[in-house]
Amino acid sequence: MAGDKSFNAFEMAQTQFDKVADYLDLDSATRELLRECFREYHFSVPVKMDDGSVKVFRGFRCQHNDALGPCKGGIRFHPQETIDTVRALSMWMTWKTAVVNIPLGGGKGGIICDPHNLSDNEQERLCRGWVRQLAKNVGPLNDVPAPDVMSSAQHMLWMLDEFETIHGAKYPGFITGKPVGMGGSLGRKEATGYGLIYTVREALKELGIRPEDTVASLQGFGNVAQFAIRLYTQMGGKVICVSCWDQEDQCSYAFRKSSGINMDELMKITNRFGGIDKEKAAEIGYEVLPGDAWIEQEVDILMPCALENQINADNVNRIKDCVKMIAEGANGPTTPEADKVIEEKGIFVVPDFLANAGGVTCSYFEQVQCNMNYYWEKDEVLSRLDTKMTAAFIAVSELAKKHKIYMRDAAYVIAINRVAQACKDRGWV
Amino acid sequence: MDNKNGSVKSIFRDLRERTKELDCLYKIEALLNEKHTSSLSGLFKRVIKVIPGGFLYPDDCCGRIIYKGEVISLKDNPKTPWCLEAPISIYGKILGKIEVFYRKRHDEMGSNPFLKQEKQLLKTIGERLAHAIFQFEYQKALTEAEALNGDAKSVIRKEWVIIVDLLKNTDQKLYSRIARKLANYLVWSGHKKAGELIQSFSRNEILLIQDADMNQPLQKRTLTGMVEIAATVFSLADDILTDDEILICVKKWIQEEKAADIVQVLGKYDSTMSEIVEAVTRYHFISSNDGFKLSDHTDMGLRVSMIRHFFFEQLDFINIAKNFIDIEDFFGLVQKIIYPMGSHGKLGGKSAGLFLAYNILVKSDQAEKLYSTLKMPKTWYVSSDGLPTFIHYNNLEDVTEQKYKEIDQVRMEYPQIIQLFKNSYFPPDILRGLSLALDDIGEKPIIVRSSSLLEDRLGTSFSGKYKSLFLANQGSRQERLEALTDAIAEVYASTFGPDPIEYRAERGLLDFYEEMGILIQEVVGHKAGPYFLPTYAGVAFSNNEFRWSPRIHRNDGLIRMVPGLGTRAVDRTSSDYPVLIAPGKPALKVNITPDDTARYAPQKLDVINMKTNQFETIDIQDFIKEYGRELPGINTVMSTYERNMLRPITAMTDFQKEDLVVSFDGLRERTNFITLLYSILNTLKEKIGTPVDIEFASDGKHFYLLQCRPQSYSSGTKGSVIPKNIPTDKVIFSANKYVTNGLIPPISHIVYVDPEGYNSLTTIDDMKAVGRAVAKLNKVLPKRQFILIGPGRWGSRGDIKLGVSVTYSDFNNTAALIEVALKKGKYVPELSFGTHFFQDLVEANIRYLPLYPDDEGVDFNWSFLKNSKNILKDIVPEYEYLSHTLRIIDVPASTQGQFLRILTNADQDQAVGFLGTGVESGDHIDEETDILDSPLEDHWRWRMSMALKIARQSAEKTKGIEAVYIFGSTKNRTAVPSSDINLLIHFRGDPIQRRELELWLDGWSLCLAEINYLRTGIKKPEGLLDVHIISDQDIAKGNSYAMKIDAVTDPAEKLSLN
Repeated sequence: MAGDKSFNAFEMAQTQFDKVADYLDLDSATRELLRECFREYHFSVPVKMDDGSVKVFRGFRCQHNDALGPCKGGIRFHPQETIDTVRALSMWMTWKTAVVNIPLGGGKGGIICDPHNLSDNEQERLCRGWVRQLAKNVGPLNDVPAPDVMSSAQHMLWMLDEFETIHGAKYPGFITGKPVGMGGSLGRKEATGYGLIYTVREALKELGIRPEDTVASLQGFGNVAQFAIRLYTQMGGKVICVSCWDQEDQCSYAFRKSSGINMDELMKITNRFGGIDKEKAAEIGYEVLPGDAWIEQEVDILMPCALENQINADNVNRIKDCVKMIAEGANGPTTPEADKVIEEKGIFVVPDFLANAGGVTCSYFEQVQCNMNYYWEKDEVLSRLDTKMTAAFIAVSELAKKHKIYMRDAAYVIAINRVAQACKDRGWV
Repeated sequence: MDNKNGSVKSIFRDLRERTKELDCLYKIEALLNEKHTSSLSGLFKRVIKVIPGGFLYPDDCCGRIIYKGEVISLKDNPKTPWCLEAPISIYGKILGKIEVFYRKRHDEMGSNPFLKQEKQLLKTIGERLAHAIFQFEYQKALTEAEALNGDAKSVIRKEWVIIVDLLKNTDQKLYSRIARKLANYLVWSGHKKAGELIQSFSRNEILLIQDADMNQPLQKRTLTGMVEIAATVFSLADDILTDDEILICVKKWIQEEKAADIVQVLGKYDSTMSEIVEAVTRYHFISSNDGFKLSDHTDMGLRVSMIRHFFFEQLDFINIAKNFIDIEDFFGLVQKIIYPMGSHGKLGGKSAGLFLAYNILVKSDQAEKLYSTLKMPKTWYVSSDGLPTFIHYNNLEDVTEQKYKEIDQVRMEYPQIIQLFKNSYFPPDILRGLSLALDDIGEKPIIVRSSSLLEDRLGTSFSGKYKSLFLANQGSRQERLEALTDAIAEVYASTFGPDPIEYRAERGLLDFYEEMGILIQEVVGHKAGPYFLPTYAGVAFSNNEFRWSPRIHRNDGLIRMVPGLGTRAVDRTSSDYPVLIAPGKPALKVNITPDDTARYAPQKLDVINMKTNQFETIDIQDFIKEYGRELPGINTVMSTYERNMLRPITAMTDFQKEDLVVSFDGLRERTNFITLLYSILNTLKEKIGTPVDIEFASDGKHFYLLQCRPQSYSSGTKGSVIPKNIPTDKVIFSANKYVTNGLIPPISHIVYVDPEGYNSLTTIDDMKAVGRAVAKLNKVLPKRQFILIGPGRWGSRGDIKLGVSVTYSDFNNTAALIEVALKKGKYVPELSFGTHFFQDLVEANIRYLPLYPDDEGVDFNWSFLKNSKNILKDIVPEYEYLSHTLRIIDVPASTQGQFLRILTNADQDQAVGFLGTGVESGDHIDEETDILDSPLEDHWRWRMSMALKIARQSAEKTKGIEAVYIFGSTKNRTAVPSSDINLLIHFRGDPIQRRELELWLDGWSLCLAEINYLRTGIKKPEGLLDVHIISDQDIAKGNSYAMKIDAVTDPAEKLSLN
């Protein structure tokens, strides 16, 4: 649609890139290269359905850039996927791997389908069909897929099996997101939450505050928040408030204990989805407050670890003056309006891009372990994660200091600069 | 209590006696069935030996038989005055008698030392003896004939001749009746001479009658005359018919005559339950002994009259049932009926549905192949007149006055009635029956359910009005019996609860209410730790009204199942989910990723705690860790869940450490459960002729059918009649594919996201803002009275362009979620079918409808949706800038008081949304059939009267109440069975008063919810009142609910406090 001004994710990603490119003063060839996907595959996947008929599905794979290493990115099953969305997501993957400085590029792929309309057998044939079309163009050395929207570990294993059958050898590093024992990595559950706290620890160092002197409030009580709290309290910090979703009441509640929450007692009354039983919590001495109370606590650190857009124009002014840092465990928890206020207030922000990169780093470790066919103990995974995250944080924060720019911008700048540099080094531009 | 103990003791004594009697009867039966009985007197002696064992004082008891004048006894015992006798008669002719007497007087028994049951016992023995004598004589005659045949010189006697001769000697009446039938047969076969014989029969009969009229002894010549004519008939037949033909006819007629008294009892309208039970039992013995077969028409006639006696009078039910229920099937049933003396009761609808369904299935051609694991749990029935008998026995007749009282008073007195009933006694007949039932079921938990007669009529729904009580059934015999009678008393008391009375009064059924059948059913399952539970249980429907994929068709059915007791699958709960499976398309799952499967998996378990004797809800995880391995078939229920992957449970699975979720993958993939269930649904639907819903449970090995009824009984699944004559300008939209049935209340507000407007939004923030605005509207618009219409996929996870980004809690108050698929070039986008939050929609009963405006033959009123006044800025002014995309239409305000009515009919695959008044004539197929279908008037009127009452009483009771307002569906007169009563209370009191007020309102809320449940079957455990207490400050600030007062749209209405 010519002249269509409607929202387009890829255009948004390009605009975001253009701003940083201007800042870095990239040459036009580099810009042209990085504004578009390096390679794109569009293909058909015919699938024999259970009733004997054949249905043809459309498949994609976008490889945005592989200057730093093999592309990395998920496979989405979505009934109304548009190529522009996939392009945008593959570009973001390039920046995401670059910011933590892991030797990977960015990719994304998908199949236009609604798995609700497909039986398990049909899904298996679809997964295998997708790999058959792409077997020559993906692999541990050039493009590594992973689970994404509506795709699961089972899908990854079917795809891996097809890939290995075609190539006649074992390549567990072809795909990530596998279960432990089938080429998966230990430490994956902890990775994002621990990664977040590694960056918080480094940030506190920067601010010259001892962790044991700090108090924090978190939004969310899922995987990320739970491991973040564990590591943070191990470091000596005190969490006085967490909020979480209550399925029964269809709203969230905040749970406060000024002497500090106790993870062991809370976990006993928490369901698998991170929902805390509010009656039982009250019984053991927690104050049960409205869900948004987490943001207005007198704490040093706020960690939004739930959904996007949680810190917005409506509530940003309820953040107390004593808050010194916001570490974004969730994706996009802060709206642009709120971000401005936070910047003005001078609160130190560890942007989502960097703060929750523990997940992608662990995927990278999964691939590394697969490629050498030797799997680390959990401690080793987590200590290597520490090294990576710490280095990534220091690089971003030093850049922010040096260039006197906001942390969020610094993260983008460092990522794009790394990719641009690699393209140049390879003599592409 | 002493009194109660005494009565229990006497019950035990009675039971001991019944056991002795049965034992005696069985022994005699065994003797009579012995082959090669050489002489009758030998047989008689053996019988006499056994008889005393069945009597109260066996040591002192002796018996003798007098047959054809000969006295047969063991010793020469002189006859005493304490004697009981019973005749031995064959076809009415008395051939002898059997006597039992005590040698000495037993003072404790008074003048008559024999029990009522002992009289019955002796009578039965006499009947059985007569039967055996007949058999013996018949065989003897046959043997003689054969012996004669061996002699070449003698005349060969034909078999039929021997039979006829035997009849002539033993029962001349029967002899002549058979002759008469034979004469008729000859006439039908075209033999004129036989006609003349018939006339002579008739003449003789007239003579007989005249003789009788003259009140004089019968003249002997008449009967002799009959016998002579009969002989002529037989000799004529001998000339005309073949020997085989005559033999077949004679045998058949004799059998019919044997059944004659059974036919008479069953055919009689006013036969009592005990007469019927006895007749059925006799039939069973006759038929099982002789390879006996009734003629087809007699058999059918008996089936029909038994169905009528036990179940229903309705022809539509009888027409179906008579083809599947044999007389013999009733024998199994009558053994388990508990009834008061002289009972004319029935068993009620629930029993009938289950009994019919089970018989249909075991007799279907699939029975052997598929239904080998199908069972019905042990079930006992208390006949419907158990309740009036109970009332009468305890002189509780006053309680029937309840129905004339004000509903408030009924509500207040109801708890006392329960207590009163629980402290009353059961008549001994019933107690005895219950005791036998407990013996039969043993120490397994039981469920006591009501089986209402009001379900009798096919098409009457009484859903939700049942009371079902679980009993652990543990402890001493006495404790178990007391617990059972307590439970039955409670179920009985429930008929005097506030709403059944109101419901019946409304329908002129007050005279019926005292009757209610009871089902006592063993609970299917196993013990695991201290708990008792089935491996899994649930409900299944022939028609699927919640489809998550266009590939699933309506007749693919729907299963809702859970581990443990099925209560969690039957009821909808907001915090837990049953597993949904479409048995016709089991491979298409509701949840695709393992994470979603885990999220929407059942988290709680309903069980019976055998230690505390309580029904409990426990956490699945805790249970599995501790006792999972003890539950048979657990590997068909759970899967291990690790890192976004589900795998089957194996012998290596560590139940303590691993994360397990309910997936039923094992059941789906490795058993024939789904095939079985689908076949059951299809068979029942085909044979009963209507879609059904069934309840089932499994102990991990067998499949138990627990209930079956037409699906139209379950709430809200009936299609509406789509009116043909809606003026075009009134139609807002219509649909002709993927339509499911479901009641949608009248809609006062439409939240419309314009596809073009949404597509033209240029930033992701604006798109997200649409979602946020919807979330805010969800909180302020009247609950369940607004709908969402939007482009593409609501809640799309991947790409915000494809649909408004919302989560379930952002729209959980809507009545329906509508997705619009607009063609893009030649491509019609796939809609979501609500799959992102499918199970939430199902549990909250939020309807989903996809619309395809570009299709032929459908309407989509763009002009109304785009041009009606948009009140967005009045309600959520902060989102005014989205006005070109997000439109809120106040329907009554824009249409002079009309509402948007949405009618759906899945049979026709049609739906329409149109402007109309509160109730349209075409709304419902049959207004009488379902309370849900009763005019909407009922629901708001009842709510309004309750609201007024609450307003007045609260003002009297609590100081500080300034005003009470009502808003939402009650105010708008659009309330449906699931509607809340929305109240706003303007309050100026202190915090203590406020707390008291809240407590008082909570009580009302729960109570009204219970009444509403009984009225409609809709459960609202959170209560029915939606109360918002607002202060002066709230009103000054115009906080969300305070805003309702004098609001621009749908303002709250002030209720009078006087």
